[in-house]
Amino acid sequence: MREYNIVITGVGGQGILTAANLLGWAALRAGYKVRVGEVHGMSQRFGSVIAYVRFGEDVYGAMVPEGKADVILSFEPVEALRYINYLRKGGLVFTNARPIPPVQVSMGLATYPTLEEMRKIIEEDFGGKFMAFDAEELALKAGNIVTTNVVLIGALTQTPGFPLSAEHVREVIKVSVPPKTIEVNMKAFDLGVKAAKEMLGL
Amino acid sequence: MAKVTDIVLWDKPGEKVLLLGNHAIARGALEGNIAVFAAYPGTPSSEITDTMAAVAKKAGVYMEYSTNEKVAFETALAAAWSGLRAMTAMKHVGLNVAMDSFMTASYMGVDGGLVVVVADDPSMWSSQNEQDTRAIAKNAGIPVLEPSSAQEAKDMAKYAFEVSEKYGQMVILRTTTRSSHMRGDVVLGELPEEIRKAKRKFGNFKKNPERYVDIPAFQRKKHPWLLETVEKYRKEFSESSFNWIEGDENARVGIIAPGLAYAYVKEALAWLGVENVKLLKLGTPFPAPYSLIERFFDGLERVLVVEELEPVVEEQVKVWAYDKGLRITIHGKDIVPRVFEMTARRAVEAIAKFLDMETPINFEEIDRKYEKVSKIVPPRPPSLCPACPHRNTFYAIRRAATPRAIFPSDIGCYTLGVLPPLKTVDTTIAMGGSIGMAHGLDVALNGVPGEEKRKTGKEKKIIVATIGDSTFFHTGLPALANAIYNRSNVVIVVLDNLVTAMTGDQPNPGTGDTPHGLGRRILIEDVAKAMGADFVKVVDPYDIKATERAIKEALAVEGVSVVVARQPCALYRIGQMRRKGEKWPIYHVIEDKCTGCKICINAYGCPAIYWDAEAKKAKIDPTMCWGCGGCAQVCPFGAFEPMEEGE
Repeated sequence: MREYNIVITGVGGQGILTAANLLGWAALRAGYKVRVGEVHGMSQRFGSVIAYVRFGEDVYGAMVPEGKADVILSFEPVEALRYINYLRKGGLVFTNARPIPPVQVSMGLATYPTLEEMRKIIEEDFGGKFMAFDAEELALKAGNIVTTNVVLIGALTQTPGFPLSAEHVREVIKVSVPPKTIEVNMKAFDLGVKAAKEMLGL
Repeated sequence: MAKVTDIVLWDKPGEKVLLLGNHAIARGALEGNIAVFAAYPGTPSSEITDTMAAVAKKAGVYMEYSTNEKVAFETALAAAWSGLRAMTAMKHVGLNVAMDSFMTASYMGVDGGLVVVVADDPSMWSSQNEQDTRAIAKNAGIPVLEPSSAQEAKDMAKYAFEVSEKYGQMVILRTTTRSSHMRGDVVLGELPEEIRKAKRKFGNFKKNPERYVDIPAFQRKKHPWLLETVEKYRKEFSESSFNWIEGDENARVGIIAPGLAYAYVKEALAWLGVENVKLLKLGTPFPAPYSLIERFFDGLERVLVVEELEPVVEEQVKVWAYDKGLRITIHGKDIVPRVFEMTARRAVEAIAKFLDMETPINFEEIDRKYEKVSKIVPPRPPSLCPACPHRNTFYAIRRAATPRAIFPSDIGCYTLGVLPPLKTVDTTIAMGGSIGMAHGLDVALNGVPGEEKRKTGKEKKIIVATIGDSTFFHTGLPALANAIYNRSNVVIVVLDNLVTAMTGDQPNPGTGDTPHGLGRRILIEDVAKAMGADFVKVVDPYDIKATERAIKEALAVEGVSVVVARQPCALYRIGQMRRKGEKWPIYHVIEDKCTGCKICINAYGCPAIYWDAEAKKAKIDPTMCWGCGGCAQVCPFGAFEPMEEGE
């Protein structure tokens, strides 16, 4: 495989960089050349965040170019739309469905689009597939809201054409998280896998 | 996925790991047997510093968080003058602070290897400008190494010590946001025995005033040495394993790609399906290796230099070609953008233009479609955290001084106070600049202190400056001395959250602790009193009324007032509490009491508070509330109450 491109989006503080790092290690352990792109500093203070994970035989730069992402994994719905220009035609958007309204929306200076508006743009204008589900609810069900990122990674492994096996990614997460949290993280992963299977009709 | 601070100390040569460019540099420094590391944190360089802090004791390395980049540079330089290998790391504008010593040290050389890591920030992700360190290095005559991958970042860090010692001159290791914050696969090298066994290294300073004293008579002899050394590095770099020629040897067209641009050019060529070009990969943008460039130019008719920001390599190559009398077209900044960072798309577009081809996908079409999206996506700029003490201080300042006052501010998280609804930042310029600006504004708007014509009473413009604790120690101190000495009439509020928060909660003199555990704490109020400030008071910004009162008191004083608003960084505090398993109160909105006045949103603006448009009430996202209780103090109707506990 030449390259596989994942764009991860969300709000600073949601665990986006951790998710990117976990996926990077999973790809490295599977024998691929890996690049993970992140921005640190001011951008992490509850602002919009984007990270990139790329792996394959032929990857160099860390940033996924516009129109080249196989999948966008989003922790917050409107953040998926904000970076939709990265999605390739036929690519997939997996997003946590629970919005975090930006301050400007609360102040009445901007409006927050509905999930249906987002779906329409993503599917009609960008030729992508849009799948939203309440990953936070599943994380709470698993035992801790901070496992939302693991729920999303579980879902990601079910993407058609995803080059890493769910078992492999699960194993990497298992050896990466603090021992006390293995059980809750594995539960979160499995719930993500299950949710994605239902959405994708697998 | 082990902890990075463990991985960088792994004694496992040949092991392949995933490292951030900055972590890789720290590992490379350890492989290069570093003895002393000193730095002031600055994005995108901070992870080098934090990694060194975490491993210093275990590796027998001395590491310090210096108060600013100039002091850090001098600490490292002194080590290098004592024969030890030393490194300092800073962001690009940090080099401006270190510049005074840096530009002169270049004449004086080093004994132990000295590596100055400078992380540039093209596109200004976390910075105030996008200056190109390579251009500064060229002016200083200091050689530059620039990695194209995390692997090279590690290897270059080690090599930099060796080559610095070989010619007795410091070396710059220049990264950018993308190479510093790119994780990539890295094969670990060997750690020297001294690092593995945590053996502390001691230097030996041999007196030599002609070399180490910079009076004119001595310095005049050294400038020619500096220029000769540049030529030695130029020759050395022609043979460097970080530079090579690849692609089609018989091609008529060539591309030069320095630093990380090489990664983008490789991606672009593969994407475009172009094979009949010759490629010069350059890991040493200055001094450009002319013998290698001569070999590269053989047979070429047209050349494109794909580089980020300034035409540093392009101009060197053009000068060389002109001197050689070569009649080859050399393109660069006429095709490649000079502002903002390089991307694969930009490389594709530049190369397609250079070779008169179509791009593989229609980027303009994506841009056109995206225009519609950008109109409906609400902006989400970064904001001060929930429970951030600075929000409370800004809120109190606006109430005490009225929004009509002028608010010079500084570099840190609190610069975000410029955004609505707080809008308590009117100027920022550089680290420590708030106090100098406040004093300058007082002179410009109110006149000379003590003079009869000076504006007083209602005519007087009120000036309230804000500056962080770390910034205060960094460059605020001389400015405070200046304001007091020149009898300024300003209020300076020190936002003391007890850490250098924006770059990752590093300690500073106000914190007291150091990586070696023997720091001495300096209290900002003691400094202000000792300098002779006319009014000094410490307040807790979690008590908004008390903070407002303190600022009102300060405003009533003629002279320089210093109010220290002290409360730990909320992000740092919550992290500590989580680790210790402690709990904090989570506030909720009592629906019956909320009148929907929106003061909490339109004047205070905590990100945990949002507006429920259907209920026409404020709501709190319990996952985001960190329990400062500021909302309860701001709400005129007592609608916020602590209801549960977070952990």
